[in-house]
Amino acid sequence: MMQIIIQGLLLSGLYALIAMGFMLIFSIGRTLNLAYGAYIMVGGYIYFWLSQQIGMPKFVGFLGAVVVGAIMGLLKHRLIVKPLKGDPVAVEISTLILAVIMQSAVVLLFGDASKILLPIIPGVVTISGAQVTYNILAATVMSWVIILALYAFIRGTHTGRAMQAVSMDQKGAAISGVDPDRINMITWAISGGLGAAGGVFFASYTQLSPTMWVAPVIISVAIVIVGGIGSIIGTLIVAHIIGFLEIIVVAVWAPELRGVFTMLLIIGVLIMRPQGLFGREEH
Amino acid sequence: MTFKYGIATTVAATLMATTAMAEIKVGFIGSLSSDTGLSTLRGAEMAIDELNAAGGVMGEQITLVTADTGEDVTEGVKAYEYLAESEEVDFIISGSIDDVSLGWLPRMQEFQIPTLDTWTSYIGIIDMVVEDPDLMAPYFMNIASDEALATLYINFGADVLKAKMGWESVVILAEDTAFGEAITGLVTDALGPVAGIEVKEIINYDIGTVDFAPIFSKAQASGADFIYQVSSVNSQVISSQYVKLQVPMAMTGVNVSALGLEYWEDTGGAGGGISTLSPIPSVGFELDPVSAQFVTDYQARYDSRPKMPHFNGFNAYHGLKQAMAAAAEAGGFGDVKAWNAAMLKQDLKLEKDGKLWLRYGFWQHGEVEEVTQRTYPQNALFDLTAPYEDAQPSMVVIQWKEDGSVGVVYPFEYANTEFEVPSWVK
Repeated sequence: MMQIIIQGLLLSGLYALIAMGFMLIFSIGRTLNLAYGAYIMVGGYIYFWLSQQIGMPKFVGFLGAVVVGAIMGLLKHRLIVKPLKGDPVAVEISTLILAVIMQSAVVLLFGDASKILLPIIPGVVTISGAQVTYNILAATVMSWVIILALYAFIRGTHTGRAMQAVSMDQKGAAISGVDPDRINMITWAISGGLGAAGGVFFASYTQLSPTMWVAPVIISVAIVIVGGIGSIIGTLIVAHIIGFLEIIVVAVWAPELRGVFTMLLIIGVLIMRPQGLFGREEH
Repeated sequence: MTFKYGIATTVAATLMATTAMAEIKVGFIGSLSSDTGLSTLRGAEMAIDELNAAGGVMGEQITLVTADTGEDVTEGVKAYEYLAESEEVDFIISGSIDDVSLGWLPRMQEFQIPTLDTWTSYIGIIDMVVEDPDLMAPYFMNIASDEALATLYINFGADVLKAKMGWESVVILAEDTAFGEAITGLVTDALGPVAGIEVKEIINYDIGTVDFAPIFSKAQASGADFIYQVSSVNSQVISSQYVKLQVPMAMTGVNVSALGLEYWEDTGGAGGGISTLSPIPSVGFELDPVSAQFVTDYQARYDSRPKMPHFNGFNAYHGLKQAMAAAAEAGGFGDVKAWNAAMLKQDLKLEKDGKLWLRYGFWQHGEVEEVTQRTYPQNALFDLTAPYEDAQPSMVVIQWKEDGSVGVVYPFEYANTEFEVPSWVK
């Protein structure tokens, strides 16, 4: 039982970290950014290249991944999202295509064989019989730090409040003097950086492979749909619901059914409460 | 002028057509991007080049065409159809994984093209040969099948895991594939009665699994003494997570990623302590002079991974030569029954220090293997009884050490290092 609680908490922290950037774009940019997984994949590979292949310090590798992720977010906004403004279907399709292109680029540069990313913080501690790596502990701590910082940023700064305003009513925000374009750019950059940071931890927890972007996107979509638009708290809570659900299914039922209940949860929420468990109603 | 040009064109076309006809076309089916597939492909390429340099077969040069399966069953079926219908190959050499071979097998039965499988070990295919030898006449498998692999592994369980380590119970972690199902079934049936090791629980997992932490927890909760893993796809993930999590139970079994020299690099060094059964020759296995020369030539020719061919690369190299020798005896590949009969007679014995070390031959129809008391027609010869005087054992157990070295731990006659548990396992 204790093992389930510990592993559930740790996995949920990782999921919350991964989903946070996706939630930002979905809430503020109003875009289902299916290329979000590409930030995660590229983040993992940049870290691998800098720290494991070139031999630079891990901190530099992590920073490099976050910077590249943020730049990717900015470029995507400038080159794809902005020109296609007003056509959400075109944006979704083009972001999906972009993710596939990024996958091919990774195959070209790193090959298609899976690679194992060494832990950012090596070592293991046994807690109540559960083997817990310092790496996943660090990811959980990092997740909480980022979530709290993001919460404080959105609630306590002018830019954060502007982001909230844009997420609620873009035209109204513009009338009030907020530049939605600038806010969107900032949001895409933050989202890219968060995705890349999550990617480093996700890859070091699992593996690096050119197809690794798919699973985090599914997890992120699930968390955001179930949590609802614009809710950091909702994202956090649903990340824990899904994380625990997966761990419980594996531990007491069958590992092969791990993702099934998450999918059922999405369908259930879409039918019963389309705005998500913690989202606001859209008018 | 036009008339002369016409004659010249006709003559040239006739010559080209004659040249095209005077070829033996070999088709490769397998993944062109996996170490497994590339091992078979390269073994076949080297054999073909050597045969062509020596004048070809029956005065004809051999050409090679490839069809990529991407390790996907549907793509595998399409690949076989492409080789049969578009390329009209004479012979197919396969580096396919089990599920893919099972996918294209009905096409082979339909087209009746002589086919040699160098990686697939699924015993069910040999059962098909037993049940319908005419329909399966084109099929040969030159790797010991699952039954033989599992049987010798059970001996490892009795001689090492039980007798030496004192382990009495096991939890099986098996991937959800035909290979996983076959090995799990065989091991489960025999570990208890033969090795005296109780199977506490079987945990199946999807091959897309990337988070093994809760699965390892479940394995620990079973109370078993050790973990038996069965992993042929994405195997470096389970082994590296075992090391990264420092799971406090020993783990052995089948881990295909650990069969290649790249294993250490792929896991970033997080692969120490992992042991796996491996068909022969494997990494860490001492080579006879002929096999050693093959590896030297291979490494001089290819500078990309796999740095050392997996066992199926050796199988492809020797097996393709044997298939061509059989064709020469049978007057080509057209008469499948004649080719089958000639192929069954192929027998290559390789010695090391005066001892039979490797043997590339096939079990005959009706020939009963004494330990398992069953037949293995058209399957690679093997010997399940020490001191392995009739052929090599069906497999060896290799182990990667925490310093990155690798060696054979079982059978004792082939061992060059001792089995040990990882340092974090008490």
